Amino acid sequence: MKVAYYKGCLASLSAKELDISTQALAPMLDLELDELESVTCCGAGDIHEAEPDYYLHLNARILAYAEATGAETLMTICNVCTLNLRQANWQLKGDDALRERVNRNLAAVGVPPYSGNVEVKHFLWLVAQGERYEVLKQVAHKGLKGIKVAPFYGCQILRPSKIMGFEDPDRPWSLEAIIEACGGEAIDYPAKIKCCGFPIIQAREETALAELIQPIEEAMEAGADAMVTPCPLCHLSLDAWQSKLRATTGRDFRMPILHLSQLIGVAAGFEESELKFKRHVVSVAPVLEKLQA
Amino acid sequence: MDVALKIWRYDSSTGERALKEYQVDAPEWVTLLDVLDLIKDRVDGTLSYRKSCRMMICGSCGMRMDGAAVLACKTRMLPIVEEGRVPTISAMGNMPIVKDLVVDMTPFWSKIRAMKPWLQPGYDELREKERIVSQQQVNVINKESLCIMCGCCVSECNSMDADPDFLGPAALAKGFRFVGDARDRATVDRLEDYNSEHGIWDCTRCYFCNERCPKGVDPRDAIAKLGAESIKEGIDRDWGAKHAKWFVTSAKTTGWLRETELVPKTQGIISAIKETRFAIGLAKHGKVPPPVPPHVAKDVDQARALYDLVKSQGVDGALGIVQGEHALGRIEFEHESAERAKAAAE
Repeated sequence: MKVAYYKGCLASLSAKELDISTQALAPMLDLELDELESVTCCGAGDIHEAEPDYYLHLNARILAYAEATGAETLMTICNVCTLNLRQANWQLKGDDALRERVNRNLAAVGVPPYSGNVEVKHFLWLVAQGERYEVLKQVAHKGLKGIKVAPFYGCQILRPSKIMGFEDPDRPWSLEAIIEACGGEAIDYPAKIKCCGFPIIQAREETALAELIQPIEEAMEAGADAMVTPCPLCHLSLDAWQSKLRATTGRDFRMPILHLSQLIGVAAGFEESELKFKRHVVSVAPVLEKLQA
Repeated sequence: MDVALKIWRYDSSTGERALKEYQVDAPEWVTLLDVLDLIKDRVDGTLSYRKSCRMMICGSCGMRMDGAAVLACKTRMLPIVEEGRVPTISAMGNMPIVKDLVVDMTPFWSKIRAMKPWLQPGYDELREKERIVSQQQVNVINKESLCIMCGCCVSECNSMDADPDFLGPAALAKGFRFVGDARDRATVDRLEDYNSEHGIWDCTRCYFCNERCPKGVDPRDAIAKLGAESIKEGIDRDWGAKHAKWFVTSAKTTGWLRETELVPKTQGIISAIKETRFAIGLAKHGKVPPPVPPHVAKDVDQARALYDLVKSQGVDGALGIVQGEHALGRIEFEHESAERAKAAAE
């Protein structure tokens, strides 16, 4: 299936490993990625808050270029991109007058119009069910035997559920399904649906760290060998800011954090060239060693 | 039908806490509140909870079902019984428990009061002529006006859990109800107040408030509207506002986030220098992409031109969010239509 692929900012910058592992995995899962080039940041909730009219137009522009590829699905690999694009998509699809105004503005700067024929879907949703889920079980032939994985959803792939609409935001199942298809053991803990603190980690670090510690601490207590997340912002927070938790609380969790595409990649037998674990701050080596033992 | 509930009982005077299971016979139409009434009448008269109107307007019966805040009077039991679930009922979060399902809402009310939730029209004497407010002006604060102050949005607020002084979703939504009121003349003073350390920019965007609100207020969106109004009024000294503005600058200059410059642009140079050691740790793993040469999006001139065009059209501040609410308000209807079509097809 051909999909328009929007990788967003972080997968182009500090989380390149997410893009690399996704690109390596896609053909094995029947996903032909048509990467969008003439696109910008979705605004990450920040432009929605600072200049909301500009937010709507930037996202309409991304949707318009996605539609121009002829694909019905715009695939995202970030929670925040998913919410921003889906929200704008609902607004444009559900209000003809608003869409006409936005399209007039897009036309004035040379962007094709958006007719409302694209669905925005996260990679997680494309893999967690249906035929592709069956393919996943074959792809993940090497498995994750003996590995206990804590699924961490993050916020903006679950809530607001009326905009996201994929699964019950209080009882999600998709990450667990993928962990199990990969042969790992999904562990359960309450904070898997809570916030990692990333949106305010620079403006309110103390508050953000008090949020961040909860899922890591709970996952650790539940015996997790690693955590997996479908969001590069959650990944950055959980992985890179663990050292700040050590500095502020004295607790050294050393919890390895995997992108969803890396988790599947490990189960599929990917090499470091496709996984890029060297780009993580917290070493993933203990997980790989346990897997080889 | 037989309805079973587990209820966390609590007595703050003794500190005793226990999970107790109850089972009652009830008609199929009952709500959670009806079941609690039946338990109190027939099984255990000492069970404590708040209630009044029984019709989703007084906001008294907020409580948690399986960890999620709900209005007891809005929660039908039939589908839960049919699923075979025995839900666990407990008091709302982020507020101290007085007894069983009753929370002390003193901190909630003090935050509401801190918003100065009354109209400040800028004059004391009544004018001779009535002031007509247009439907368009009312629409701006329509959603926030629906708040019944039940506390469900506060119950699972992740920022308030981490920072109990955070003004929180209910109070800030109330704040926008006045900032957005065409008759109010205290906008700048209010925004200055709400830009405090525990105000607008303390929100972590977990969206639990939008998820929990039983009235469709969408408090997170109200907080975003306050952020947009603050920046429009030039009240942007908070690091949160500077952080948000840097995304706009990034989009209209390179298209993509200028990630490495985000810390100094948010926190200022001095604070950024203090983060040098942390940044070096990240840089070793490629987490600090070099700002030069900049990562520039193809056709970024379109994004730049779009910014100037959009800014010239005056859909400023909160209006940029309000304009999309008509369509977002239709989503539930669209979901229902899709479900009906699916059911008909089956």
